[in-house]
Amino acid sequence: MSPSVKIRNSKFEIRNRDAGPLSRPEQVIAWILGGLVVVAVALVPVATRWVLVDDNYWIQVLIWILFFAYLSAAWNLIGGFAGQYSIGHAGLLGIGAYTSSLLSINAGLSPWLGMAVGGLVAAAVGGLIGYPCFRLRGAFFSLVSIAFAEMLRVGTELTDTVFGIEVNGVRGLLLPVLGHNPAAFQFVDKRYYYSVMLGLLLLVLAVGWGVKRSRLGYYLAAIRDDEEAVASLGINPARAKLLAMLLSGFFTAIGGTFYAQFILFITPTRTMSLDFSVQMVIMAVLGGMGTVLGPVYGAVILVPIAEVTRAVWGGSLQGVHLIVYGALLMAVILYCPQGIEGWIRRGFLGSVRWLAVRIGPAPAVLAEAAAHTSSMLLPEGGLLPARLAPGNGQPLLVLRKLSRRFGGAIGVRDLTLEVKAGEVVGLIGPNGAGKTTVFNLITGVLTPDAGEIRFAGSDLTRLRPDTINRMGVARTFQIVRPFVQLTARENVMVALLPRVGRVAEARKEAERYLAFVGLSHRADVLADGLSTGERKRLELARALATRPRLLLLDEVTGGVDQRSLPGLVALIHQIRKEGVTLLLIEHNLRVVTTVADRLVMLHLGEKILEGTPEAVVGDPQVVEIYVGGPGALR
Amino acid sequence: MQTFLQGAVGGLLIGGTYALIALGLNIVFGTMRVINFAQGTLLMAGMFLVYWLWVLTGLHPYLSPLVTVPLLFGFGYVIQKALVAPLFARERAREPMSVLLLTLGLALALENLALLFFAADFKTVQTDLAMRTFKVGGIIVSVPRLIGLLTAGISGAALYLFFTRTDLGRAVRATGQDREAARLMGIDDFRVYNVAFGLSAGLMGIAAAILVPFYYVHPAVGTSFILKAFVIVVLGGMGSMPGAALGGLIVGVIEGVVGLYVQAAAAQIVLFGLFVVILFVRPAGLLGVERR
Repeated sequence: MSPSVKIRNSKFEIRNRDAGPLSRPEQVIAWILGGLVVVAVALVPVATRWVLVDDNYWIQVLIWILFFAYLSAAWNLIGGFAGQYSIGHAGLLGIGAYTSSLLSINAGLSPWLGMAVGGLVAAAVGGLIGYPCFRLRGAFFSLVSIAFAEMLRVGTELTDTVFGIEVNGVRGLLLPVLGHNPAAFQFVDKRYYYSVMLGLLLLVLAVGWGVKRSRLGYYLAAIRDDEEAVASLGINPARAKLLAMLLSGFFTAIGGTFYAQFILFITPTRTMSLDFSVQMVIMAVLGGMGTVLGPVYGAVILVPIAEVTRAVWGGSLQGVHLIVYGALLMAVILYCPQGIEGWIRRGFLGSVRWLAVRIGPAPAVLAEAAAHTSSMLLPEGGLLPARLAPGNGQPLLVLRKLSRRFGGAIGVRDLTLEVKAGEVVGLIGPNGAGKTTVFNLITGVLTPDAGEIRFAGSDLTRLRPDTINRMGVARTFQIVRPFVQLTARENVMVALLPRVGRVAEARKEAERYLAFVGLSHRADVLADGLSTGERKRLELARALATRPRLLLLDEVTGGVDQRSLPGLVALIHQIRKEGVTLLLIEHNLRVVTTVADRLVMLHLGEKILEGTPEAVVGDPQVVEIYVGGPGALR
Repeated sequence: MQTFLQGAVGGLLIGGTYALIALGLNIVFGTMRVINFAQGTLLMAGMFLVYWLWVLTGLHPYLSPLVTVPLLFGFGYVIQKALVAPLFARERAREPMSVLLLTLGLALALENLALLFFAADFKTVQTDLAMRTFKVGGIIVSVPRLIGLLTAGISGAALYLFFTRTDLGRAVRATGQDREAARLMGIDDFRVYNVAFGLSAGLMGIAAAILVPFYYVHPAVGTSFILKAFVIVVLGGMGSMPGAALGGLIVGVIEGVVGLYVQAAAAQIVLFGLFVVILFVRPAGLLGVERR
């Protein structure tokens, strides 16, 4: 290992130790400190009453902070956790505000119930808008969300009545003032609103915390990194994103009801404004997208800025705080894309550890934890269950007359290929021969123009990638695609979760797979900090964790230095011993001839040769295509 | 029938301008796979430029592109080079979704700066053409809007020629299709991005010139147009230039026809219905190419 690599690794190890799990007494201290903060925040209304004569203004500012923290945390469920930036959440907010208000005005339904109805309606609408987008990638959802909110706003502004119900268009709805009436979600004293908002905020934070530690949370974090890789592990990314969207829509709409009850006056122009949508985004970005508490920090910083500018410039210059918001958003994206949550968390954990050293018996516990990690076992009795022991010799994968074109270019033409259970088949051919296209066709990333793919007797053609993986086909990628923001262990956990279900169990089982590929010592390092060889091993572990019967390896030795090769080759042999059938793309002929039983040579999308490694490599045609002339191979 | 035609013609006339703005979005999206949220801000900046040129020098709005297009091109070029390119360099492997957030911040800051400096007044430019109309078979046609549609058409055609007939245009398209491959062919992808951003910004100079004679100038004017442009882009197809044109005209005509027959709210509802149907039936948009 070169010195430079060592330096890099040590950096990650330091970072890792800081972020590592707390010991038991440290956890207790952390919970006590966190609990004290919550209690203090909850007691603010009592405290301000003692200190200030007229505290209404201050309470109101605090309510806005809680309110925006809440909204931003609700946005964060889809925007941050899943990395799907909605810029139309004000539309969902408006749905919540209007549903509960219309129900209370026209049907006398208490807003407490209307709040739940609005939440369900918004979740349904959000799901409806999100569903078609989630099959596509990235920016599309952002555009659709903006367009949706905009149409909803303009539509409401222009609508006076719907089926005889007064919507009142751009003039908005004025809710009847009922005085102090808890059953109708109305209070004269703002302190009640403060408590309600704080409760809602704690609820949405708890949901975020729960999601983050759940199976869904791991899926979403992986999706944020690389959706295609997620699908290759038997997880339906669209479904995970949809679930996050339903939750996010539900809670955003509840915020809308609160807004309506707090102000008692809603207009489409205000409740569905782009400003609201954007503020939810900015607070989460500044605080830290995808973190549980980030939105709170964002709101704590940004809402007071708006209040201060309003106090200084009054109503005459309304947009001053938005100039600051915009500039801050740019600065954060450019210079601190992770947001400030990390700094705060490290500061908090640092003080917890500092306290623990003074109070508790931390060293002993730490030593115990260290002993635990070193006693990790190698897998016993094989990695894969007996059900996968194949009927050797039976055809497992059959491609029949498979064709796929890209516009005018041929990807694969009339390819017929059979892989028997227990076999190791090498797919060779120069660049552009169509090898990776074959993999993409088998795994459902591409659909064939013609032909058929059968696996273990069933038809794979036109199935989704995640379904194909669940049927027993796993793959690695030519250019490795680990989830870089997750640790090695978490990478494997993502692959295990569809089958194992429980996070704690997946965490434990991941160790077996990491041990199998020789990465136990790197389990808690972020995948971003792994070397290329380690990333390849990690991808192998991840693919194996889905318990495939057939594993497709796309240039597993590509970009790996000479010294690491024997280890990888041994690993491939080991995988084979586990009963996994292998189809591998390989440029290194020395590797492929030692590993494979049979070679298939592709050229310009067609199979031109098939046979034993010796026969194929010795064939003059192969030599001609690979090196351009006879006799030059050795 | 008369009403229908009147609505359709009115819609087509404004639809051309919509299309031009959506085209600006799609040039950037088609090339870089990112959304420039500040597109409307660039339009707003263009409109203020046109306004102040007219107030201070008396330059007719229709001549203003001579000044505004190079200025906005430069502005767009610099935005990409200074702000967006670093994100591409950082998130090389992925579609940098953060560009959307960055340009969102830019739009927010610039729009509210404009509000600070120019106040929330509705400014208008009174030209000799402003109120002029003529009748064809009983249908009233507004002259400045007609000029707007024609100019939009000519600009679209010029862009088409640029993208299909010039080396730089082909380089832009090639980079949009496969950035890695384009780079291997010796195309400087970051320069192409600068140009695409500049072009899309420069186009807003033309849109501003045709809008100002019949539309008010206001710091929030860009946002109202860009939101419509987002709907158009989703309908027509993200990154598709013919899609932007078609989508713009469709939205214009629906607004015109349904708005005239029933009411403006109904037009929004029809639009929304169409939007949802397209989303489910052809999520890539009418003329878009589905990418995974």
